[in-house]
Amino acid sequence: MSREGTGKMLGAQVRRVEDPRVLLGKTQYVDDLVLPDMLAVAFVRSPYAHAKITKIDVQAALTKPGVACVLTGKDILETIKPLRVEFDTQKVPFHKSCNWHVLTPDKVRFVGDLVAAVVATDRYTAEDAAELVEVDYEPFEAVADMESALLADAPLVHEEWGDNVMERLEAQIGEVGKAFQEADCVVSERFVTGRHMASPLETRGCVAQFDVATEALTVWSSTQVPHTLRASLATLLDLAEHRIRVISPDVGGGFGLKAHPFPEEVVVTYLARALRKPVKWIEDRREHLSASLQAKHQIVTAEMALKSDGSVLGLKARFLSDAGGYSSYPWSSAFEPKHAAGTITGPYKIPAFSFETCTVATNKASIGVYRGVGIPIAALTMERLLDMGAQKLDLDPAEIRLRNMIRKEEHPYTTLMGAEIESGSHQASLQQALDILGYDDFRAEQQKARQNGRYLGVGIGSYVEGTAHNSAVFDSFGVKIGGYESATLRIDESGKVTVFVGTHSHGQGHHTVYAQLIADTLGVALEDVAVVQGDTQATPRGWGTWASRSAVTGGGAVTSAAQKLRDKLLRIAARLTEVPADDLELVQGAVQRKTGAVRLLSIPELAHRIIAQPTSLPPDEEPGLDVTVAYEPPPITHSNATHVAALEVDIETGQVQLLRYIVVEDCGTIINPIIVNGQIQGGVAQGIGSALYEQAVYDDAGQFLTGTLMDYLIPTAADVPQVEIGHIETPSPYTLHGIKGMGEGGAIAPPAAIANAVADALSPFGVRVNEVPLTPERVLSMLDRAQTNPGTE
Amino acid sequence: MKPAPFKYARPDSVDEALALLQAGGDEAKVLAGGQSFVPLLNLRMASVESIVDLNRLDDLAYIKRDNDTLRIGAMTRHRQIEVSDEIRAAQPLLCRAAAEVGHLAIRNRGTIGGSLVHADPAAEWPLVAAVLDAQCVLRSQDNSRTIAAREFFLAPLMTAIEPNEILCEVRFPVAPVGAVWGFQELCRRPGDFAIVAIACQLTLDDGGTCSTASLAVGGAHSTPLHVAEVEPIISGSQGEAAVMTAAAEKAAAAVDPSGDVHGSADYRRRMVKVLTQRALKEAWAQKRKRALQ
Ligand SMILES: Cc1cc2nc3c(=O)[nH]c(=O)nc-3n(C[C@H](O)[C@H](O)[C@H](O)COP(=O)(O)OP(=O)(O)OC[C@H]3O[C@@H](n4cnc5c(N)ncnc54)[C@H](O)[C@@H]3O)c2cc1C
Repeated sequence: MSREGTGKMLGAQVRRVEDPRVLLGKTQYVDDLVLPDMLAVAFVRSPYAHAKITKIDVQAALTKPGVACVLTGKDILETIKPLRVEFDTQKVPFHKSCNWHVLTPDKVRFVGDLVAAVVATDRYTAEDAAELVEVDYEPFEAVADMESALLADAPLVHEEWGDNVMERLEAQIGEVGKAFQEADCVVSERFVTGRHMASPLETRGCVAQFDVATEALTVWSSTQVPHTLRASLATLLDLAEHRIRVISPDVGGGFGLKAHPFPEEVVVTYLARALRKPVKWIEDRREHLSASLQAKHQIVTAEMALKSDGSVLGLKARFLSDAGGYSSYPWSSAFEPKHAAGTITGPYKIPAFSFETCTVATNKASIGVYRGVGIPIAALTMERLLDMGAQKLDLDPAEIRLRNMIRKEEHPYTTLMGAEIESGSHQASLQQALDILGYDDFRAEQQKARQNGRYLGVGIGSYVEGTAHNSAVFDSFGVKIGGYESATLRIDESGKVTVFVGTHSHGQGHHTVYAQLIADTLGVALEDVAVVQGDTQATPRGWGTWASRSAVTGGGAVTSAAQKLRDKLLRIAARLTEVPADDLELVQGAVQRKTGAVRLLSIPELAHRIIAQPTSLPPDEEPGLDVTVAYEPPPITHSNATHVAALEVDIETGQVQLLRYIVVEDCGTIINPIIVNGQIQGGVAQGIGSALYEQAVYDDAGQFLTGTLMDYLIPTAADVPQVEIGHIETPSPYTLHGIKGMGEGGAIAPPAAIANAVADALSPFGVRVNEVPLTPERVLSMLDRAQTNPGTE
Repeated sequence: MKPAPFKYARPDSVDEALALLQAGGDEAKVLAGGQSFVPLLNLRMASVESIVDLNRLDDLAYIKRDNDTLRIGAMTRHRQIEVSDEIRAAQPLLCRAAAEVGHLAIRNRGTIGGSLVHADPAAEWPLVAAVLDAQCVLRSQDNSRTIAAREFFLAPLMTAIEPNEILCEVRFPVAPVGAVWGFQELCRRPGDFAIVAIACQLTLDDGGTCSTASLAVGGAHSTPLHVAEVEPIISGSQGEAAVMTAAAEKAAAAVDPSGDVHGSADYRRRMVKVLTQRALKEAWAQKRKRALQ
């Protein structure tokens, strides 16, 4: 298991500690929890996109045997606060907030909006009774489309705003006008991404229990952010936070979706307290598709100015984003376009950039953060424009990228948006990805295939992934959350280690990587490290797992904590053995003298002394081996990667067949290649979903058309090629061990690489490829459009 | 996604099942593999007072050959057909179509009878039953009748079956001498219902001239559509490109598709044309391949 026999766990191909439980079906999800007298909730949800509730009659439902309670928005108007995203107005003066009532009292704003909660002895009865709740609606015209939301006569989603604009922001950096005047070539396009969903295997769900004696609440929730959820529950229900314990057991995927506190969790917690009985809600797939959060839906109109040698002079872009009916906490539903604008320059040196971001409310499910947030469409825009520029200037797509990329020696490189990209390997990752493909051979094969009427294409997508944002960055966003992470490390009398972390693995394998980091620092075996997470009562306040942050922040916290205890162990060992501390190290469970590699004292022996024989300690040392550390990472840690897709397009049906998918990524020092590869493969699968399959569809009246997994198509194992992966390790100069985050990356570039490959395949026809998902019908209509307007690209 | 309450019975004989169905009137339904019915119940898009579970009726699960007829019991699972050597020898198109039904887990549970009665216009069994002119054997407590598949399908999810009837058997003709076939399906992901599917069976003489032809379309009409109009175009031909184009145009003109999130009506009509040509090509290619062997 060790790397080149050095005994080092860092970088070793360690099998995931988590896997046996998962593979044997021994994991415990929220739905596995069964408590005595537990009641079940079914929600009554709006069938209309936009309507006023004129009357709710709960009588028939209430009298049904087995029904404990029916709760409506009016019942709790005074007792439960609405979710409301408030920014620091000094930093974000242009944002309009809205109330998201946990049960809407007056008006519904999307199909699936929460109208009432029915509590009964079991979910079957609750669903039967939910059908008996009579709700009268007065339907309004729906805002079903983000462009029409901006029309002067558009219906209003939130009347108090006066229009539908949640947030608008404009900025210009560098001399954009001059760039376009001096350009030899300008390319422009309008790009559209679909409305995607995180779609974890485990849907949302929670159980709440109230202890009458202590007045304490325990809430089990499938969440990525147990501590944030606890704080939100306390605020919204006006309860003392220390009387709420949130436990997030095993979580079957989250991908950002579960990094938000949800109205349903608030209602369930309220009900458990009100009814003094445990209450469970497990979201079904239909609820999940229609009424959890959706993501990534944007229209970007962009223009790029280039010199004849392919160097980019400037970029203009307008990001229009469809927030849906409400705003998700804490980043708001206006985060998507801002993050797209903030990251669009990617690995490229762009001297001038002007942009507008505009987020509008519509009558759809709200937007939340989902793996990649904003960067997939930023990459789609940038990478397509580069290919279009290359085509106009008769350059190879690889060549135009190599010319514009930040060179290795230019790091640390400060982007136009002010982010410092500390290190990277942009050119090298591109080159290596093309080598893996065999770029020249593929081009030759492509030529041959065309002669036989087959259309092969290759597409590149390069990006930079900002990970593990620190507290100062969130402060600059005006978002009131922390970017640090905490760990409590404890060594017990037997010398075994337990670490308590504020992050929460929901599939990533944190137990394994944290144990690797600690094992190296403390010289103990991997099996001797236990990781405790997902319980606010046990773990120090942390911010959970999202935004590719845990390796850097959680890893930083556990490493710092381990270093502190290592120092203490060595300090005390030095006094006991009368060997200078700097000649001591912890190796294979013992204190060892470096000189001569002599084992002096086992860690269990030493730990036992420090904990159970405190009188034998030097007087200035505290007994016990227990430490809590908060680790604040550098502002943003940047990974980079290049994806290359090779595919074939059937020009008669429009179907796209992926042939190969290559990723060369650089996330700095790799802790565990198995886990990194797994993250890449899974991320690419979701990115392929965005590129080819997934789309939450609403009709013109705001009706939701993709309420089952037969309509909302997620790629299955059969649809995702085995990703061919290459690694480059360019450590961060700032993080512990040089680690960089990478969890989202796999999902970022597939829309860009695949759209480019489709455009490449269809280049004999001059097709404009500007919208994902690239469904067969859409590809065919792109071909049609090219044939009726030849030469538009 | 929990079904409304229902009564449940699991009879041990077909007669008992028929009696239960008769007694249940309009509000009783049979359960076969449950791969279509159970989702509808859970989504509360269907609700019934009582369910008669056929899964114990082993005597409805069989594959038999009587001379030129293949008799398949309604409770035969998709997978059993897919892997049956007897069927592969007698009518290989059935094995080919079975392999396209959903995923392995669904094929292990779902039944040919359930698929036919469910009557999804994009499903494989209705399509194949239409193209091969299969016969459906229906029984009620005091009656038994046989109806041609081409008359059985009335509308999406609607057939000529009566509430008190059980589909007991499907009869397919064994492929005649000189028979070749084509099966083309376009779907978003393998295992999905077809956007459009085309099945055809031709009989070709030794010189490759077509004597009889049958072609049907799935996914592009309210029912699987047997397009009789293409037969005179194909018969007598040798599969010349112009013939295939003409047949494809005929098929595209015959359908009246409706659209959904996976494909608009226009797209489906267009795909009928593309896939018809491909299916016919596939059929003639089979002939050439056999000639080489
Ligand atoms: C994810 C998924 C993908 C699928 N993909 C496909 C696909 O690609 N192609 C495809 O064709 N199908 C597909 N199916 C459907 C599957 O083939 C079903 O098995 C089939 O449609 C119904 O057969 P069943 O035995 O499951 O019937 P059930 O679901 O039990 O019953 C369906 C209906 O038929 C009635 N019924 C059943 N048997 C009889 C009988 N003997 N007499 C009278 N009435 C009867 C029932 O009352 C019910 O109304 C898919 C299903 C799933 C869940």
